[in-house]
Amino acid sequence: MAVVVLLLVVSSMLPVSVFTWLWDRLNVFATVFLGIFVEAVPYLLLGTLASGLVEIFLDRDQMSKWVSHRPVAAAVGGAFMGMIFPVCECGVVPLTRRLFHKGMPLSAGIAFLLAAPVLNPIVVLSTAAAFGWGQMLFWRMAVSLVIAVVVGLVFSVEKDAANVLRPVMTMEHEHQHDLPKTFAEKIRAALLIAADEFFEMGRYLIIGAALAAGLQTFVAQSVLLSISSGPVLPVLVMLGLAVLLSICSTVDAFVALGFIGTFSFGSVLSFLVFGPMVDIKSIIMYSQVFRKRAVSYLVIIPFLMSLLAGILFNFVRP
Amino acid sequence: MKNLSPLDKAAAAVMLVVAGLIVVVILFAGQAGVRVTASNFEGGLIGPLQIITLTFSEPVDPAMAESLLDIQPSMEGTFLWVDSRTLQFASALPFELGTVYELTLRSGILSQDQHELKHDISWDFQVRPPLVAYLNTQNQQSSIWVTDLSAAKSRPLTDESVKVIGFDSSRDGEFIIFYSTNTQGGIDLWRVNRAGNDMAVLMDCGRDRCTAPAISPDGLRVAYSRELAGPGPDLPYGSPRVWVLDLQSGQNAPVYEDQQVLGYNPTWSPSGTQLASYDGLADQIRLLDMESGSQYIFPSNTGGPMTWSPDGTKFLFTEADQSEAGVRTLVRMADLALNDSYILIGSEDDMDYGYHSMIWSPVDASAVLLGMRAGGDDPSQVFWLFNPGLLDGVIIADQPDYAYNSPHWDVWGDSLVFQQFKLKGSYKPEIGVWSSGMSESRVIAEGLMPYWLP
Repeated sequence: MAVVVLLLVVSSMLPVSVFTWLWDRLNVFATVFLGIFVEAVPYLLLGTLASGLVEIFLDRDQMSKWVSHRPVAAAVGGAFMGMIFPVCECGVVPLTRRLFHKGMPLSAGIAFLLAAPVLNPIVVLSTAAAFGWGQMLFWRMAVSLVIAVVVGLVFSVEKDAANVLRPVMTMEHEHQHDLPKTFAEKIRAALLIAADEFFEMGRYLIIGAALAAGLQTFVAQSVLLSISSGPVLPVLVMLGLAVLLSICSTVDAFVALGFIGTFSFGSVLSFLVFGPMVDIKSIIMYSQVFRKRAVSYLVIIPFLMSLLAGILFNFVRP
Repeated sequence: MKNLSPLDKAAAAVMLVVAGLIVVVILFAGQAGVRVTASNFEGGLIGPLQIITLTFSEPVDPAMAESLLDIQPSMEGTFLWVDSRTLQFASALPFELGTVYELTLRSGILSQDQHELKHDISWDFQVRPPLVAYLNTQNQQSSIWVTDLSAAKSRPLTDESVKVIGFDSSRDGEFIIFYSTNTQGGIDLWRVNRAGNDMAVLMDCGRDRCTAPAISPDGLRVAYSRELAGPGPDLPYGSPRVWVLDLQSGQNAPVYEDQQVLGYNPTWSPSGTQLASYDGLADQIRLLDMESGSQYIFPSNTGGPMTWSPDGTKFLFTEADQSEAGVRTLVRMADLALNDSYILIGSEDDMDYGYHSMIWSPVDASAVLLGMRAGGDDPSQVFWLFNPGLLDGVIIADQPDYAYNSPHWDVWGDSLVFQQFKLKGSYKPEIGVWSSGMSESRVIAEGLMPYWLP
């Protein structure tokens, strides 16, 4: 009560222009937020629906036999396997865990874990919808592929998976209950998984969109521009944003689009490459599957390589 | 080191290598100084009115940067700083066709903190060949097509499924806005770019009729006539009023708040600051200064064509005069400085020449093209290119039994594109082109309503 009274007293002392400014900013914020959210929601829905169908209808045992056990071939194959699984960085972690359990080599699994959130068809389409079928899409895929393969090769030197994976692994997917038998049951199970994942991811999307809208509304363009000078600092800023915003890769292209014009091509590219591999929620999920050292490598190597790519592109294309 | 596993060693090695590469790149970038890229030079070709954009890798001092910039052959123009890293150059006159331009940014200090461009950078570019857009009505379709002047590369710009009624092209030739009937019986505005790959509804007008779009010279606004649908399907449409749609913000509103002010055929002045339209109820051309809000009114009873002088201080329009000798079409010159108009052509005519299709050169105040009847009982028409100051000129198109209309100058004021149609017999409308120095025009396509896409 005292706080409310205090707020009322303080607000009564403020000039009307403050409220007018605040109201204008809130209108802008609402417009930007809704713009990002409404544009992204269909892709999130599509991604989670496809994820549910893959979870129920794809035979992972059979698929794991297709992957080579030679390090380079396994890493490259694992990365390209990401092209057929429409999962973002949240959905890919339990799927990778299950693939490890089925005998997938570390190098292939790690490459798949890092590449799938970017190379999958939903992300390709959403990136193309935001940036067109041009350089941003191409370089996002290419740089992500390189990072995924390199990190996969790094992990290929470890012969004992137990040194990388946590000893206690729950093999059952959180959505998986009694195995559905009939086609109708499978569809129902897929939709349930899709619905769960949609609402789970939807929360991150709302938070990410609100943060992005807040940044665009309340942080003056001149401030961002001062940050975006030079070849290194803007990349670091965008890498930090990628971690903090934790936006699902199926929709992050639309958020990144808002930064074009303020940040350079290389900075936005680094955001699009690093964000799907590492963010707050994926770090937490990695910790449930991998040992601490492995998690640190999964974070640091993509960070450094994304930083290198961003700086290189800032140099080549200011 | 003994406690490090193979994974630790491999990861450490990769991290060290990548970190080393980052250091090398940063050092190399630091040595390289300020970097600059120029956009919109696709294949070294640009539009004649294209704005050139330079992007610097870091904020620079505008005066310092401008002092280092040079274009050869020399072109006058204005610099616009979008932000401290982005410079735009807008040429005062169109870049010339066939000339290779060299844009050079000389090495030197670019900012107060002594950041410098270490080496001269040059970009070569030239103007792309102009295209002509026209309405193709063959085979039951009504689509916009484009062709080059050799007529060797004709292609459709819009889908056959959308029946185009009419259109306008942007001054820089980058896009077209056309109008087409929708499923509710109204007429929508559509937009399509030069490549024809992004056709989309620009303004869903519902049951209203949105017609006669006119794109402002800067390409940022569209003026159009809008007839509001009646409250019921069988009730008549309202009278046309002029609206303006802002293409950037999407803001869309009538130009005049007073609903009694009608208007159609909106026309922008060359500077884009004034908008003229015809009020058929009051029999007058109404001109609004979009910046000051001041209005000018010129009586006219034809609603016919009006065309602006290159400097935007005058315009020509037609008027029908009924006298004892019969109806005479007059051409009047409106002078905005005097806020008055006077008869330029027609007061002494012994017959009605039916003046129509006037178009003033965009660069030469002494060149106006005028459509008129050939004379006598002959229904044929001719195009007369004349000097409004001297009232003398030359006939540039006068084939027997032909009618000419819809002329447009190219951005250089060198060539005209127009529609021609043979009056006797069954013939299809054709697109003709005439250039200064040509003894007669030539046909480049069959079609209607041609516009340049520079």
